[in-house]
Amino acid sequence: MIDKLEKISDTEWEIKRGYVDNMSVPGRIFLSEKLCASLEEGALKQLANVATLPGIVKYSLGMPDIHWGYGFPIGGVGAFDTENGIISPGGVGFDINCGVRLISTPLKKEDFTGTKRLINTLFSTVPTGVGNVAPKTFSDSELEDIMREGASWAVKEGYGMPGDLVSCEENGMMKEADTEHVSAKARKRGKPQCGTLGSGNHFLEIQYAAEILDEDAAKTFGIEKDQVCFMIHCGSRGLGHQVCTDHIGDIENATKKYGINIPDRQLACAPVNSPEGEAYFGAMAASANYAWANRQMITHMVREVIGRDFGVDYNEMKLIYDVTHNVAKFETHVVDGKRMELCVHRKGATRAFGPGSPELPDYLRDAGQPVIIPGSMGTSSYLLKGTQTAMEKTFGSTCHGAGRLASRSSAKKSHSGSDIRQELMDKGIFVRATSNKVIAEEAPDVYKPSSEVVDIVHRAGLSMKVARLEPMGVIKG
Amino acid sequence: MPFEELNHTADYLFRCTGSTIEELFASASMAMFSLMFDERDEGPVKIEISLEAADYETLLYDLLSELLFISEVERIVFTGIDIKIKDHALKAVAAGENFDMDKHAGGTEIKGVSRYETNIIKTGGKFQADIIFDV
Repeated sequence: MIDKLEKISDTEWEIKRGYVDNMSVPGRIFLSEKLCASLEEGALKQLANVATLPGIVKYSLGMPDIHWGYGFPIGGVGAFDTENGIISPGGVGFDINCGVRLISTPLKKEDFTGTKRLINTLFSTVPTGVGNVAPKTFSDSELEDIMREGASWAVKEGYGMPGDLVSCEENGMMKEADTEHVSAKARKRGKPQCGTLGSGNHFLEIQYAAEILDEDAAKTFGIEKDQVCFMIHCGSRGLGHQVCTDHIGDIENATKKYGINIPDRQLACAPVNSPEGEAYFGAMAASANYAWANRQMITHMVREVIGRDFGVDYNEMKLIYDVTHNVAKFETHVVDGKRMELCVHRKGATRAFGPGSPELPDYLRDAGQPVIIPGSMGTSSYLLKGTQTAMEKTFGSTCHGAGRLASRSSAKKSHSGSDIRQELMDKGIFVRATSNKVIAEEAPDVYKPSSEVVDIVHRAGLSMKVARLEPMGVIKG
Repeated sequence: MPFEELNHTADYLFRCTGSTIEELFASASMAMFSLMFDERDEGPVKIEISLEAADYETLLYDLLSELLFISEVERIVFTGIDIKIKDHALKAVAAGENFDMDKHAGGTEIKGVSRYETNIIKTGGKFQADIIFDV
């Protein structure tokens, strides 16, 4: 694929206009020469397709974990002028506000011997996998509050601490949520699932901080070497999936109504200010809030287990940060010296706002936003910090994970779930999953090494390493 | 086989075929059922579905999305489907068994049915569609 790209620097590559018809801006991808070798033609085409959508500003962007998805590529970022631009469910995906949070504990790795016991207890406590439901099915009015208030609803109901909210992107609540546009079907799916992990690449992991790479930022974020932490990766469950499904149909009709030419039906879009665009955005924000409440509920379950079984005070388990990596948001960015209101789509990409950003709480103003990049099962995860470079080059965005290299079916053919489980056990990582199949599908070597992906965003200056986290135990759905 | 899995990095891509449009829709449904659960036995559950859409692609997308919805909220593991289509209006009876946590845990959760390049074409006298399931 490298022959189709123009090298801008060691970490930045351009796809010229004309790669597909009607591109109004070029594409830019952040990659190393080595990872260019694994770039798929499908991903490149999808990145170029995004550049044809009305109102796109500067570039259609690809992060180093870019891969072939549907609509936007995974690892894709597109910012659209709110005056004449569009919003597209294909730029967010089915799992609205799929995201990651990291919570510290006061436990130290050298004193911690209960990983296996903890993972077994968490596996039976946190509802995981297909068909599993939350301890409580919520009422219509409770669901309404969840969709309006997100993590703050959960905290208000006793599933967390007030201090958790300041450490969530958007304080765990998009105020633009409009539940009127969330269908009865989506609500029906959402009521029994708030507080469930789901399946696929979602996980709950016990980790420790193996290396601190930026002492000052680590201190600000509240993490020390050898500290035991836990990471939660999940999203808006069936409610968000249904919202995407429902609105794609309406948005597709709007695409025709407003005479927008799209190269792919999954890129169906509507003007940001149209009734259809506003309806999707309101429902998307309600789903995002549901996802924040979901991660907050799971956090509560884990805190209770660790508190009870390891004698840790609930209040000593601090939320380091919570990021979303599938979302569209209205943000103000400086483009060519001019402030612009933009609808920024991040699909498999993480916000990485730099120091001084007004959206950040006071305690993060000097350090920049914490960015959490999960590794694949059994590999390193990273805590990074947002930068001014990201603000200038990527609308304050960075990668979201390791990025797949091989399909799930080929992973199942080439890997045995039980062998991988044993290999990880030999390395001291205890895995519990609902099936060996999911372990095989998520085998560590079917992903790009997370360290290589993170090295690129660090070298490109899109986000800077603060700490490297290593897994001790994993729960997969 | 009325459906085969093709390579896709992140999700599941199936090429589905049928001699008639009804057979194509049944193949796509069966591809989805096979992805959702490995252990499937015929059971007593029968669900009737009626849908209409402006074109076959939308009708197919709507059918698969409806089956996903019903499977989750009614807790059904589908095993088969009988479909009749006339003038872009569909009537189907989907059959299956009730979800059992002991038997069906470890299934694959499908987040959605993509419309990415889902065009129904006719090739070699058969209807064919490639469908990506987001997992």
